[in-house]
Amino acid sequence: MASLLELSNIDKSFPGVHALQDVSVRFAAGSIHALVGENGAGKSTLIKVITGVYQPDRGAIRMDGAAVHFDGPMDAIAAGIGVVHQERNLIPLFSVAENLLLDQIAAGAFKPINYTELYAEAARWLDLVGLDVDPQRPVAGLSVAAMQMIEIARALSLRSRVLLLDEPTASLTPHEASALLGILRRLREQGVAIVFVSHKLEEVMELCDTVTVLRDGRNACEGLPLAGMRRADLVRMMIGREERGARTQAGGARGAAALELSAVSTDLGHRDVDLSLYDGEVLGLYGLVGAGRSELARAVIGLGRITKGEVRVRGRPATIRSVSEALHRYGIGYVSEDRKQEGVILLHGVLANAGVTLWRRLQQWGVWLRDGPIVEAVTPVLHHLNVRMVSLESPVATLSGGNQQKVSLAKWLAARTGILMIDEPTTGVDIGAKSDLYQLIRELSNAGTAVMVITSDMPELIGLVDRIVVMHGYRIAGELANTHDYPTMSRAIMGLIHADPAGPEPAPEAVGQSS
Amino acid sequence: MRRLLNSDWFGLYVLVFAAMLVISALRPDFHSSFNIFVLLSTIALSTLIALAQMVIIALGQMNLSVGSIGGLVAIAFAGSMQIWGLPAAAAVIGGVALGAACGAANGVLIARVGLSGFIVTLATMAAYKGINLGITQAQPFYGVPTSVKEMGYAAIGPLPLLLLPAGLAAVLVAWMLSRLPIGRQILAVGGNLSAAELSGIPVTRVIIFAHALSGALAAGAGMMAVARLQIGQPTIGDDWLMPSFAAPVIGGTLLAGGHASVAGAIGGVALVALITQALVLFRVDPYFVQLLLGLVILAAVALARIRAGKAA
Repeated sequence: MASLLELSNIDKSFPGVHALQDVSVRFAAGSIHALVGENGAGKSTLIKVITGVYQPDRGAIRMDGAAVHFDGPMDAIAAGIGVVHQERNLIPLFSVAENLLLDQIAAGAFKPINYTELYAEAARWLDLVGLDVDPQRPVAGLSVAAMQMIEIARALSLRSRVLLLDEPTASLTPHEASALLGILRRLREQGVAIVFVSHKLEEVMELCDTVTVLRDGRNACEGLPLAGMRRADLVRMMIGREERGARTQAGGARGAAALELSAVSTDLGHRDVDLSLYDGEVLGLYGLVGAGRSELARAVIGLGRITKGEVRVRGRPATIRSVSEALHRYGIGYVSEDRKQEGVILLHGVLANAGVTLWRRLQQWGVWLRDGPIVEAVTPVLHHLNVRMVSLESPVATLSGGNQQKVSLAKWLAARTGILMIDEPTTGVDIGAKSDLYQLIRELSNAGTAVMVITSDMPELIGLVDRIVVMHGYRIAGELANTHDYPTMSRAIMGLIHADPAGPEPAPEAVGQSS
Repeated sequence: MRRLLNSDWFGLYVLVFAAMLVISALRPDFHSSFNIFVLLSTIALSTLIALAQMVIIALGQMNLSVGSIGGLVAIAFAGSMQIWGLPAAAAVIGGVALGAACGAANGVLIARVGLSGFIVTLATMAAYKGINLGITQAQPFYGVPTSVKEMGYAAIGPLPLLLLPAGLAAVLVAWMLSRLPIGRQILAVGGNLSAAELSGIPVTRVIIFAHALSGALAAGAGMMAVARLQIGQPTIGDDWLMPSFAAPVIGGTLLAGGHASVAGAIGGVALVALITQALVLFRVDPYFVQLLLGLVILAAVALARIRAGKAA
């Protein structure tokens, strides 16, 4: 098939980094092309070259065989390259139609906008992507999935022949994600060249026709057909070796109860939650998106209000009013899922970010703070997580997105709190570093830390944890001892979720008390 | 009905109306025609000041130099008529042009040079005031022509003539913000700069335009102040900063940008004017006016915060 957009032998350097070396990639009409690679492999740079944000140092870009040059994003859009970025690019208080057809509003200045026409045209594009929303309503308050569809519709309205989607399913529920994949298939039939950038290899395998893998700024492969390829083959190309599983082995015996919730209700909507977390274990809190898991953790550390029931830390009743109290008085750490927003201070250095939780513990005579002990505490963790940085003083803003996430994770791992709750531990972590991270979590628990992992990744859950608590609709649906056997465990977990919410019937493997 | 209740201005107008009822019940001299006339003249002037600030807040920036531009245009307006004998109409056009130019200069420094709006307008606030004092040596221009003086007190029935230009400006700004591409572009830049940029909105041009418009509106306010005071007073504009923010914010304009309400701003202007006048009528220490205004702004912001929390 003739390629619609072709990039050949692209080179791009930044001070200190050779981001892309001799990278080539071709996209054909009516085909979905996967672009995969670990964090820092050069994907983001390549996307920015394709969309005209960066100009390559060397190499050629051809569209329909003719050489093109993009001076800026507007040139790429005009050439027919539409992008849906990972972050939403909408104006919250503008209507759906205005957001969708913002380019029309951008065109004039003093000729009044014909809103009747605008709404009608927007309705046509919404129809095309199968989104049923009122074009006159504001975008604020819509689901992330709906906002993403609006951006896809916007890209199509610009007569894009190449549609690039950067991690489009990252913030979607499984149901929304499969709806999105359906629409992408339809667009493929209509002859659009789709570039699908994703960390989720399962989706890539399911959806895409061809794949280009980047590793360390070079092509690990270029435009190979995905048919007949196995997931393991992809991973090997991405990390240059075989993947190690999530499977970790419990080392020590389970200790005393570190954190206990009994009949806890919160103002966030939880009802009668009973939960115990023991020293030296890794507890997995599983549930579908919206089950209330992160919210429960947040309520425990004082970001929500507990309206009923009791929280006990190490056997003593505890009223936790703030995150600072949770950390310093009760030794409870919580690693947020949204590490980019909540986890790091971009302008500060790696050391300052990773060490912030240690300051109070390591200060001497109440005030004196030396870098030495902090470096000692932080370095092994950063090393384990394979954080790529120039030095400990480099501002976190200069790190790639994935490495920023690792720094915010490192901060809490280094804090060595007695109780640690980690929300989606491997979000944004490379496949290669995942097993290191699992090992690190296991080491913490072997050293006596009570660890709770909140995850939506079932293989990760079953590989990593000792005990599984399933949450559904802001209640505890049941508890399972983990046998690490994927088929039986996953069936039991789904059984708990889909059981009658009024009176959850115990699944076969369910146990009231883990043994 | 629900839309009405959720609008920025409905609750505010109820509040203004209730305040009027209470004040006139307690002080019958409130609805003397003289008092109403003074109140409405104040509202006309304050509306232009509020609009001048509001178009910049909509952009997600702030314009600290609204008062300085108003003051500079005021003395240029009075001075050009006194010294050069310029006819009033020409002086008005010149004044608007000067205000727009001052505003555009702010816009160019912000959009092209890339300085922060706060710093730029803080600097030009001082600079424009300096030009004003350099020209006048802090002395007023007394030679304002009678035609302009009469404008300040002219009436159509019980209403001051000055309401006309203020109302026209309000309608035009409201129309621009809701129907014209340039108005939507201002709100888009304020709502999400990077999204606006990626959609091809000429951000630099939009910022310069908004600041020029802000300057022109401030100029209108400055000349209106001359008509009311009957002299070209160099101190015109010195006390505009606070009310310029108060009225739009009370009226639901988001300080973060991206949303503005002309009807709300006028409601805010009316509320501030009523409070100020009521305190005069009740012979309250004028220093309390500042305190109360501050409290009203805090209450308005807190209320907006609570409402936003509920909507989410």
